[in-house]
Amino acid sequence: MNRLAWAALALLVVVAVVVAATQAGDSSPRARANALAEEIQCPECDGVSVAQSLAPTSRAIVRDLRRRVAAGESDDDIRAAYVERYGESIRLNPEGDGLGLLVWGLPVTLVLAGAGALVFASRRWRREPLMHATGADEELVERARRDDA
Amino acid sequence: MKAFVGVFALALGTVSSVFGVIVLGLGLKKRDERMLELGRRFVFGVLAAAVLAFLAMEWALLSHDFSLEYVYENNARATPLLYTIAGLWANLEGSIILWALVLAGYLAFAARRFRDRSTDPLVAWATLVGLAVALFFFALMLGPANPFKTLSPTPSDGLGPNPLLQNHPLMAIHPPMLYLGYVGFTLPFSFAIAALATGRFGEGWLADIRRATLIAWGFLTVGIILGGWWSYEVLGWGGYWAWDPVENASLLPWLTGTAFIHSVIVQERRGMLRVWNLSLVIATFSLTILGTFLTRSGVLDSVHSFTESPIGPWLLSFLAVVAAVGIGLIAWRGDRLRAPGRIDSPVSRESAFLGNNLIFAALAFVVLLGTVYPLLAEALQGRQLSVGEPYFNRMTTPLGLVLLFLMAVAPALPWRAASGEVLQRRLLVPAWIGGLTMVVALLLGTNGITDSVTFGLAAFALAGIARQMVVGARAQGRANGVAWPAATLRAIRSNPRLYGGLIVHTGIVLIAIALVASSSYSTRREVRLTRDNTVNVSGYSLTYLGSRITDTKQKVTVHARIRVERDGDALGVLTPAISSFPGRTSGIGTPAVKTGIVRDLYLTLVSSPTERERVTVGVQVNSMIVWLWIGGGVVALGTLVALMPSLRRRSQRDPLGADDAEPRVLEGASA
Repeated sequence: MNRLAWAALALLVVVAVVVAATQAGDSSPRARANALAEEIQCPECDGVSVAQSLAPTSRAIVRDLRRRVAAGESDDDIRAAYVERYGESIRLNPEGDGLGLLVWGLPVTLVLAGAGALVFASRRWRREPLMHATGADEELVERARRDDA
Repeated sequence: MKAFVGVFALALGTVSSVFGVIVLGLGLKKRDERMLELGRRFVFGVLAAAVLAFLAMEWALLSHDFSLEYVYENNARATPLLYTIAGLWANLEGSIILWALVLAGYLAFAARRFRDRSTDPLVAWATLVGLAVALFFFALMLGPANPFKTLSPTPSDGLGPNPLLQNHPLMAIHPPMLYLGYVGFTLPFSFAIAALATGRFGEGWLADIRRATLIAWGFLTVGIILGGWWSYEVLGWGGYWAWDPVENASLLPWLTGTAFIHSVIVQERRGMLRVWNLSLVIATFSLTILGTFLTRSGVLDSVHSFTESPIGPWLLSFLAVVAAVGIGLIAWRGDRLRAPGRIDSPVSRESAFLGNNLIFAALAFVVLLGTVYPLLAEALQGRQLSVGEPYFNRMTTPLGLVLLFLMAVAPALPWRAASGEVLQRRLLVPAWIGGLTMVVALLLGTNGITDSVTFGLAAFALAGIARQMVVGARAQGRANGVAWPAATLRAIRSNPRLYGGLIVHTGIVLIAIALVASSSYSTRREVRLTRDNTVNVSGYSLTYLGSRITDTKQKVTVHARIRVERDGDALGVLTPAISSFPGRTSGIGTPAVKTGIVRDLYLTLVSSPTERERVTVGVQVNSMIVWLWIGGGVVALGTLVALMPSLRRRSQRDPLGADDAEPRVLEGASA
């Protein structure tokens, strides 16, 4: 009975995830322009994207992004045009090549390595016997018992 | 006069900490109990000095004594009282006074709490380390960051605080809260160093600092959330978190501190993770210093860089000393630190805690890497780069989802090993609630996997928490024959750590829901309005009623009055404003927010009214923002509950009693 309930739940979740996955991916020009606006930094303010900023330059950039998308430029062309005009720091999303490999790849590698180490350790723990109490441990316990009494 | 009192206080603080360190050091070396008892008393000298320095600066601010450079730069005759008082933390030099005061307060609190153990080497070492940290900050103020520098001739009026810092009352409480959190981690740090120095790195020192750590963590959490609130109410971009370096600097110790308050339970219960826990405490303290360095030395740009100052090298050297001492001590003690415990099953509470720690460490790493990456790129390749929201969101979202999953599952896992049957009974109903929530969210038009999975996991976690509360309360009710409200209270009193933790989790889940909802289901538009004309935006109809100008000595403010209706219901008049401050070129916008349980209406004045009474107004509809603040309140409440003494409390010094505060009630109740 229980097993059936879990299987049904698993099925439900898998179906839901698949449905959600197929829904995603809005590639309308407006969505594309908005996505680009999220990764272009407002040139006048620190660290905020033009999508979030109300500064006049930011609003001009958002309009320009919409115009470029409507004119059929690809996302990469638009990014390149902005990098050329303002420098690399205009992008809030670092490139994934060269040094960028570090900033994207290192955390992922470390998480996987950490998870692997945990699995490995738990296997080893299951094979090896427990450590035995040393003389110092026994003494500590004995002293604590005496203090308690 | 005030400068004299101030400098005298700083000198007193420096001398007290120097003497304290020396006397305690000698006392420890010679095992002289009288010297240890004497050394402890210098903490109160440091406290007196910090209070005196604080009062001297407040006195100077309140009397607008512009002969002090700090007062001249951060105060003006027209500055309102609240921001005059808050002027003490408007800028670097004053902030260090607050830092020293909070530190001295924590040290005095510890000295009083452990007054019966002043000759205990662990306590003496911890006091020594605390005083050494205090010495650093007092020396910083006597040297490169002197807040009591004088000006001659005395200017007739000051420049006033940065406009952003005198625009909202939250400015008066957000920084002190954050400092209470930041600085509070000094106590766990000093006890960790003391444990390493004395070789007593069993579970004793953990019990000694449990409360201090929770208090610091609670203040830091509240401080961070208040910072988000301030950002939302003041900066006018409609957001609360921008992954700005200063924000990241406050998040880093929060992440490692959160990892610590979880992993500490594993050590208390199973005696494992000694090195890891010591490392987390030392890392947390180092990250508070690193954060201060990154944001106050001018190496990174930030909206919080209200000043740049020459203290960078000092902070960096201090950080190097802290890290070297910490790592050196751990390496030196390495062989004796080997923990006797082990993990019996991958499906157990301790495994879940290890998973939690892995994720929190990864989050801290991502935030640190993203924050310093522009520095690395510039140093190594001479490239000017930015790392912002898209990077942080993409990297932290999957980690956050794993944490939500752990929050749903881990509290139901028993220690050591879980039997399938127990897990099924505890998790089946909450898991179904989560699954169904996900489906409902999809049917209601949630877009994307992340959002629907977040809502599903959040419901899973909340249902699991509710189940645990109900089971615990029911067991107490049956055992004592009382009705459920009394039974719930009894359950909480019987194990405040468990239930406090569950309440904190509830708050965090609420915040997670609000984070997703506000970033995915918010809209922003800009509209031009002419007088008495009505525009419909995102379900609201807005009518511009005209503008009003208020003129105080502090600022001149233009308020646009906008009547708001939704579905024919009048929601009142909102007045977004733009203020200009004397002597400052750019105006500061003040958004007007109509807060609701489901959505906020957030209006900003983009351009002041023209002669023909036209205004441009930014209109944002933000979803579920208020749940961020409510979630923060719930977290604070849970922290308070966790701090309550347990009815089943045992002597703190009992080395065998370290594992008493775990959910036996619960396990017994559901078995």
